[in-house]
Amino acid sequence: MISNILLTVALLCGINGLLALFLIIAERFFLNYGPCTITVNESKTVRVPGGSSLLSTLNNEKIFLPSACGGRGTCGTCKCRITQGAGPLLPTEMPLLTQKEIADQIRLACQVKVKRDLSIRIPEALFSIKEFKAQVTLIKDLTYDIKLIRFKILGDDEILFKPGQYVQLQSVSYDDVKESVSRAYSIASSSDEKKSIDLMIRLVPEGICTTWVHQYLSEGDEVRFTGPMGDFCLCEGTGEIIMVAGGSGMAPIVSFLRYLIQTKSKRKVTYFFGAVTKKDLFYLDEMKRFEKEMVDFTFIPALSQPEPDDQWDGETGLITVPMKKYIQQIDTETCQAYLCGSPGMIKACVQILNENGVTSDRIFYDPFA
Amino acid sequence: MKQTPGEQQLEIRFRPGQITKSGFMGDDTRHIHDIIEADGKVLERFGLKKADIADRLTLFMDEGKKELEGKVDLGEYVVQVHWARGLMPCPFGEPGLHPKVVVHVFSKASRQEIRYSQLSVHMIRKHGFWGGKGSVFRLEPIDVIRLLKMGGNGE
Amino acid sequence: MEYLSPITIFFAAIFTSNILLTYFLGMCSFLSVSKQIKTAFGLGLAVTFVLTITSALNYIIYYTLLQPFGIEYLRYIVFIVLVAAVVQLLEMFIQRFSEVLYINLGIFLPLITVNCAILGVSLFMIIREYTFLQSVFFGAGSGLGWLLVIVAMAGIRERLNEQKIPPALRGAGIVLIISGIMAMGFVGFSGIVQIQ
Ligand SMILES: Cc1cc2nc3c(=O)[nH]c(=O)nc-3n(C[C@H](O)[C@H](O)[C@H](O)COP(=O)(O)OP(=O)(O)OC[C@H]3O[C@@H](n4cnc5c(N)ncnc54)[C@H](O)[C@@H]3O)c2cc1C
Ligand code: FES
Ligand SMILES: [Zn+2]
Repeated sequence: MISNILLTVALLCGINGLLALFLIIAERFFLNYGPCTITVNESKTVRVPGGSSLLSTLNNEKIFLPSACGGRGTCGTCKCRITQGAGPLLPTEMPLLTQKEIADQIRLACQVKVKRDLSIRIPEALFSIKEFKAQVTLIKDLTYDIKLIRFKILGDDEILFKPGQYVQLQSVSYDDVKESVSRAYSIASSSDEKKSIDLMIRLVPEGICTTWVHQYLSEGDEVRFTGPMGDFCLCEGTGEIIMVAGGSGMAPIVSFLRYLIQTKSKRKVTYFFGAVTKKDLFYLDEMKRFEKEMVDFTFIPALSQPEPDDQWDGETGLITVPMKKYIQQIDTETCQAYLCGSPGMIKACVQILNENGVTSDRIFYDPFA
Repeated sequence: MKQTPGEQQLEIRFRPGQITKSGFMGDDTRHIHDIIEADGKVLERFGLKKADIADRLTLFMDEGKKELEGKVDLGEYVVQVHWARGLMPCPFGEPGLHPKVVVHVFSKASRQEIRYSQLSVHMIRKHGFWGGKGSVFRLEPIDVIRLLKMGGNGE
Repeated sequence: MEYLSPITIFFAAIFTSNILLTYFLGMCSFLSVSKQIKTAFGLGLAVTFVLTITSALNYIIYYTLLQPFGIEYLRYIVFIVLVAAVVQLLEMFIQRFSEVLYINLGIFLPLITVNCAILGVSLFMIIREYTFLQSVFFGAGSGLGWLLVIVAMAGIRERLNEQKIPPALRGAGIVLIISGIMAMGFVGFSGIVQIQ
């Protein structure tokens, strides 16, 4: 009897143990890709542990590819060219790639796993993207729903950016939100300032990152951000500049203006700022100062639905109204336009600009919005 | 019924902090498919299709977008749209991203308001999902149908 | 019992004694994963694969370990553990060598462990005292039969989407009725060959 039980137990344990051992060995053997070498742009090589996605592997190596969906394979912003070692195209990549991209060996970095030596090509500009640790030194209300946040970069790092570029701010977990997310915010400070940046952040109802910034972030906190990114920048030229922005879209415009002041530019600049009521207006004193400091700068705010209490005597109507009135009077031959705001505002502005002789190659805005 | 790992993945994306701040389920403990089915039955009772509702919600959204951030008076309704920059994925996980647009539709007659996002419209149209009960962007099909005066009288 | 050639068993397992429609085994994943032909096909392939391998392995274990030591009653546990191990191994194997297949079908693999058709086949082959070759063919045939039925059901369900079905019957209800009718169709073959 006892021997029977013992035999049964021993056999069962034996079989299970053997199987487990077998699986462990198999895992070592099958799922270990060993160290792999990634060659970036045929110049730089990094040795990395195999097995994870190219996106996160490069991230660990401090090479930051853009990613808007956090590696879920839904946004397509992490596209990069893999010239060698990528393996067959995956079904998860298919929907986001065009025939031409497939022929050009473009792949989604968040889906491709590093399993063998890889050779990739990425824009040189990505190398200048760094991760910064910073401390919040100022939080100021600009309006009831927009805050200005100043970050001082810790350590010896310095941020070198072109006016108009943005950073990806990383939230930390709070309340129900267990994971960190990263969101893009345009830099509002002067590009001369290398140890700190200003962001203008507007609260989005039920937004993950903005709720954190508005309700949980306080002065003295340490945060991380990566940047600089984006190609929304001031272009060479001597012609007149039209700027249109509303709400938090003011941020890159302020950075442009500060740059124009620094470089003592003589270009004529007109800035149209759109808002609904008076309580959405901000930075009016700064704009007055800019008007004094710059050779030829005009700030034109417009309220689309001023309240009776606002006692508003400026422009009324959508921002496109005063802008249209203005560009119909000027020579648009060399004029450049810089837009920042919701895609709806941008679309409306582009249409009016096009109709009045400002061709699309002279209109600039952040496309990924 | 057993769950495929794919469905578990699905449930994770509906949780707070994954795609949206408070998630899509609210305090609803039902399975996603059961929620979709229950809401679908309400529509059926009124002889409506998901696309009918989504089309109407899109119409209001498009009218609102024209006024940028201001209020638009459409006679019976007042619409206001807030459009933040940036794009977000759908929790059902198919490729594609959606703009962060929030729409408020106020009915002058019933003095009631509904609030939805562009993602909500997509989810109603493509997945028949109106949000879990108690979630912040939950649309109650019956309220929407009444507010938008769609369908017959049901029952 | 007269000896049936492995080939006969193979075809019988597909058509006349279909594991799904005559024994109603593997119903659970059949009901839940038969919404789309593509995924149904993926799962069907994986089941076929695992069935073929596990019937061979379980056969060996049973006749070299369990029977000699007289502990046949442990077969339920041992078989299931073996199935689980094979599935794990298969998953690793596919992940390493074909990521495309892994993504297409990877998520269904863990599900197979608890598919009762797999355990059912291993138990049947013992009860019916098949030889090794017969068992392997029985396993492969049952797998293909399962695949055939789940793909057929997925095809029907894809079309059902556009039809008006009485509300009370929607979902599992109509699927069960259809599988009943399909089962009658398959049982119609049973005059040709009989394997119990
Ligand atoms: C290049 C670029 C520059 C930018 N610069 C700035 C800047 O300078 N200042 C600034 O303020 N912003 C800027 N943004 C926008 C910013 O990146 C964020 O997108 C924005 O702040 C919102 O982030 P969030 O995490 O708060 O919102 P998220 O949580 O990502 O999204 C909120 C949205 O989710 C939807 N939602 C929430 N819950 C649900 C639900 N249950 N059902 C359906 N829908 C739901 C709502 O529509 C809401 O609009 C910029 C964006 C880009 C791309
Ligand atoms: S990060 Fe979005 S698709 Fe790769
Ligand atoms: Zn979707």
